[in-house]
Amino acid sequence: MAELSTSRLWVMRAGFLALALAIMFFHLLPLDTLPSRWAPPDLLIGFTIAWVLRRPDYVPVLSIAAVTLMADLMFQRPPGLMALLMVLGSEYLKNRTSGLREASFIGEWVAVTFVLVVITVLNQLILGLLLVQPAPPLGLSLIQMVLTIATYPLVVLVTQSLMGVRKLAPGDASALNARTGSRA
Amino acid sequence: MAKDRSQSDDYTAPLRRLLLGVLCLCLLAIFLVWRIDSPRVERFRAQVTDRVVPSMGWAMVPVTGVINLFRDFQSYQRLADQNRELRSELRQMQAWKEAALQLEQENARLLDLNNVRLDPRLTFVTGVVLADSGSPFRQSVLLNVGARDGIRDGWAAMDGIGLVGRISGTGRNTARVILLTDAASVVPALIQPSGQTALVAGDNTIRPLIDFLENRDLVRAGDRVVSSGDGGVFPAGLLIGQVAADPAGRLRVRLSADYERLEFLRVLRHLGVEPVSDPGTIVAPNGANNGTGGQPAALDEVGDG
Repeated sequence: MAELSTSRLWVMRAGFLALALAIMFFHLLPLDTLPSRWAPPDLLIGFTIAWVLRRPDYVPVLSIAAVTLMADLMFQRPPGLMALLMVLGSEYLKNRTSGLREASFIGEWVAVTFVLVVITVLNQLILGLLLVQPAPPLGLSLIQMVLTIATYPLVVLVTQSLMGVRKLAPGDASALNARTGSRA
Repeated sequence: MAKDRSQSDDYTAPLRRLLLGVLCLCLLAIFLVWRIDSPRVERFRAQVTDRVVPSMGWAMVPVTGVINLFRDFQSYQRLADQNRELRSELRQMQAWKEAALQLEQENARLLDLNNVRLDPRLTFVTGVVLADSGSPFRQSVLLNVGARDGIRDGWAAMDGIGLVGRISGTGRNTARVILLTDAASVVPALIQPSGQTALVAGDNTIRPLIDFLENRDLVRAGDRVVSSGDGGVFPAGLLIGQVAADPAGRLRVRLSADYERLEFLRVLRHLGVEPVSDPGTIVAPNGANNGTGGQPAALDEVGDG
């Protein structure tokens, strides 16, 4: 049983990396080279947070850092900054998970909104303070943040139903144990 | 079991916290190093891109193709309208073609008369667009030609008609083109026919801004904007677009290059403008270098020329 759950753990960890790569791949497709007035939601952040809140053990800190740093490098962002903010934000959410486990989805959404707002504000603030040229336009960042927040329930739906990443119910761990015990 | 977990938590929690701290410090260090020594980290970024993106090419090309196919399919619904438009455009084009042929003949005749030698070094390498910047905040594309093909930073990239951007960041097999629409792009330009110099500065919109114009009364909407070659980085005389005024009254450039479909780009080889360093030496007969004999001859030559 331990073997089975360990292999599943590693499969899901690899699954997260594959999901991140797929999202980056679709971002990089040269479909639209016109500058657009709006920014699509940042699905990479959305899925990372949804996974972290469901199953923190599938998304270790190292893979969050690696994935976001890779995205920083590929998307021409200042390398390291967004990765740092994502690691801190996801750690904060992870620590809240124990409190959130009983809370409703609305409570989770509020917490995620808070974290996303803080990440966006800190990102803009640090880039502004360090005089990074060109700073990302404020309007676009805000649109992206709002859309990421707005699509979060959808992302959670996909995560739960299509990818099968659900929170462990209180009885799940023991049920898993019992089942594996009988199999062994 | 619960006791087990809490015990192992006690054991691993400080370790985990240490790992987290080290990780955060590493990320912060990367960011600060980038801020302090940007070129080196950007070179690293170019190398990473050079590794990753071409290896995704086998999937990117068909997926892009399929998505574009679906988009084209949607446009088939407007086929009849398009057909009519195309016919009227074709009629106009035939008139233009006549004019162009006449001009071409005239041009050839004039070039022949003047014995003009066109700059042989303005040759180009054509590359295929592999990927875009992937972010709504930056406007750039990745080409499949790189240092292996002799591409260097700063060279100009054009589509068939107009300037598209400049090379910034070359890997071995790939090169990134910062488009004119990117907020970091500034290109010195010349506005014809008034001959005003200005800067074409991208601001993340489809129409880059015309900045640092000397006298804007001399500039009208519809004037041609070409690169001026000031600063020696860019070749001069590449078509950028036409002047247009936006509703706020600022002057912008309507780009000639077709930004909706950037598929193939030409990268112009440009080895810099040779500076005229010496003031010109005296031309003397038989290589004699006595000043008294040489000076009148040189003056004569200037007078003749």
